[in-house]
Amino acid sequence: MVLMRLFGLSVFVSLAVVTAVVFVSAKADDSEVETQLDERWWSPGDGRVFPEILDYSNASGQLRIQLTGGEIDTNGHPFFEPYGPAGRACITCHQPSDAMSLSTETIQSRWEATNGQDPLFAAVDGSDCPILPQDDPKSHRLLLERGLFRIERPWPPKPFLDFPERAPDFKIEVVNDPNGCNSGPEFGPDAGKISVYRRPRPAANMKYLLAVGFEYDPKQGLGLPRDPETNVLLSGNLLADGRASTLKDQMNDAAHSHLEFETDFWSDAEAQIEDFLLRVYAAQQVDAVGGSLDDLDAGGGPDLLATSEAGQLGSIGRAVWSEFEAWETMTEAEKTAIGPEATAWRESVARGARIFRDRTFLISDSAGINSPIGFGNPVRNGCAFCHNMRQMGNDVAPGQVDLGTTVLPFADPAPELPLFRITCLDEPHPHYGREFFTQDPGFALSTGKCADVGKITLQSMRGLSARAPFFSNGSSETLQEVVEFYDRRYNIGYSEQEKTDLINLMSAL
Amino acid sequence: MRRLFSNMPLAFISLTFPATAIAESNVVSFVSCPIYRDADAGKKSGCWLTDNPGTAQRYDVSKATSKPDWNYGVLVEGKVSDEQDNACGGVVLAPVSVSILQEKPCTRFMLPAEGYPGRPFVLPETNTVPLSVERVPPEPPFSDRTFSILFNFNDDFVTYQHGDYYVDQTIQWIRGTNPAEIIITGYADLTEHAISDYPIVEDADMAQKRAEKIAFTLKRLGVSDDLMTVQWESETDEAPDQEGADGLPIASRRRVDIEIIQSGD
Repeated sequence: MVLMRLFGLSVFVSLAVVTAVVFVSAKADDSEVETQLDERWWSPGDGRVFPEILDYSNASGQLRIQLTGGEIDTNGHPFFEPYGPAGRACITCHQPSDAMSLSTETIQSRWEATNGQDPLFAAVDGSDCPILPQDDPKSHRLLLERGLFRIERPWPPKPFLDFPERAPDFKIEVVNDPNGCNSGPEFGPDAGKISVYRRPRPAANMKYLLAVGFEYDPKQGLGLPRDPETNVLLSGNLLADGRASTLKDQMNDAAHSHLEFETDFWSDAEAQIEDFLLRVYAAQQVDAVGGSLDDLDAGGGPDLLATSEAGQLGSIGRAVWSEFEAWETMTEAEKTAIGPEATAWRESVARGARIFRDRTFLISDSAGINSPIGFGNPVRNGCAFCHNMRQMGNDVAPGQVDLGTTVLPFADPAPELPLFRITCLDEPHPHYGREFFTQDPGFALSTGKCADVGKITLQSMRGLSARAPFFSNGSSETLQEVVEFYDRRYNIGYSEQEKTDLINLMSAL
Repeated sequence: MRRLFSNMPLAFISLTFPATAIAESNVVSFVSCPIYRDADAGKKSGCWLTDNPGTAQRYDVSKATSKPDWNYGVLVEGKVSDEQDNACGGVVLAPVSVSILQEKPCTRFMLPAEGYPGRPFVLPETNTVPLSVERVPPEPPFSDRTFSILFNFNDDFVTYQHGDYYVDQTIQWIRGTNPAEIIITGYADLTEHAISDYPIVEDADMAQKRAEKIAFTLKRLGVSDDLMTVQWESETDEAPDQEGADGLPIASRRRVDIEIIQSGD
């Protein structure tokens, strides 16, 4: 569904490229027991059983959600029940059909189905700002068009992790506030609140996002922090700005900000949610052209994710996206069996994996890569330099990197987003200088450090076909746009074939 | 954790330096703008060149642990290597230390390969091993031991695949020996050197920042506050023979020493 950008008309046009069909298998090994449901959307409190396998069609093929350890009765389960005052639950923004995230297609469909009355569109963060008229779709433009929720961060930042409390070393001023949530008596830096707009991260494959490979954070030049409750090393890979470091912190951050709780989840609920999050895996399972993604010894789909060890660096042992290596050496008989179109697509995916790992380019002016680690500015490397965790594509080290998706001049123009002027008060930013502009300061809203402005935590790369748009600010509507962004940001010069191969690879994840 | 500050001068301090490029034995020091040569020999393979303004000699500093930023000047301290492979088009310095001088802007400049092959990246020996690798604890008897962490000029950042390696060596020793006391001493080079007519002197609080940074990291790695004494000195000495200093005398003045004292029982 596409919301036409003619809000006065509130016109929705169905592209009808995706069938709203869900197949549920009662058991992982029983593919024949399938029940067709007429509803992709999981409403809070609808009391369904969450099965071991859930398959959802999408424009590229079919996504699979796999739950280890047996099905879950969602009745009374705090991930699924609307315990907050707005009638929302975690499931509202982490939908199985969307790889436990939320696509704009689903958001628009939900607006159409409920005339904007679904709790998804709650004023607190499902609108561009609570002060706007909530019945008007224009007030929900960022969610409907870019899949962005409002995230309100305190200013100045609260003490971060175990760092000593200190004042931020940069000044932040609002130069564009199109939605009213960064100015006036209630909002904005002077009111102690900064609103940024971000995509919901997938609530799946969490063991990979919690995994650590080393005891050190090379981007900060420090030992990794530990959870003071459990003494477990913290990966730093959960949220875009790193503000929550454990699942417990994350769920309670969401409880307060998105579910409008006045208190944290109760301890039993925390345990139930954590248990669920650590059991749910999401990945594309079938491609519409290429067929089953685990065919001929390939390693697509969520089953391998569920059974593999997390946190392995792709440069040691099996390489990133080597899951599709088997398709480099298909026999003629195998090619004949699947046909020329599927053969070509699978070979393209396998090439895409190679390009992802081995096609190098000059990476420049990206904090978290070119500074302060010592790699140099520029440094020649490829996508897997940062997307280095085997099977997931997130960063084994804490993944706070500034690609320029939110900072001028690299960010795409976005008059619908706030724009902030940043002035470094101590050392200038290593790549932007003393003063520069950003749509979202990212990690710096947690650390208070000017050098961290624009850094956004890398996220997993699974289930991409189910959860457009991409990047934390939803700036790329398609995988094609993702590749184009990198191509112009780093002047890579991908050929059209290389772009196609990368897109096919990402669509298969 | 105790914090102490000392301004007592140390023995063996060299307080005067020539006002031009320093050449002690085969050590070369100068300040200049870096040049990136895009000799593509794979990941992390690019060449870093820089010209000594005092001699117009072009040096290859690609083997530095911390590479330059083409937008800023660099302080180069290195030894002319016995192995000159001409892979990048300059006299090879190795070992070599490169510090980015963010207050010295440079015009970014990239040379094409021009036939120079560059060098494939080789994982340094000072590479920290992943957690999945089982560590061998030290064998008793344990003696007192001092580890040093070196820093780039006017910086308290622990460098990747060098500083973190020595921090890791330190924590493995601490974990394996259960010491009675740990004394962390920060040093900064507060003596002004005119290198290539550029004043090189570190901030007055850099020794403290370095000491506290290392103490913070050791605490994250599990060392109790009660074991650590954190101190910093107003002056420094040269320790080029300390492990990790690579024989570079001036670079060795910027460091933190971690003295690990056993109980003697």
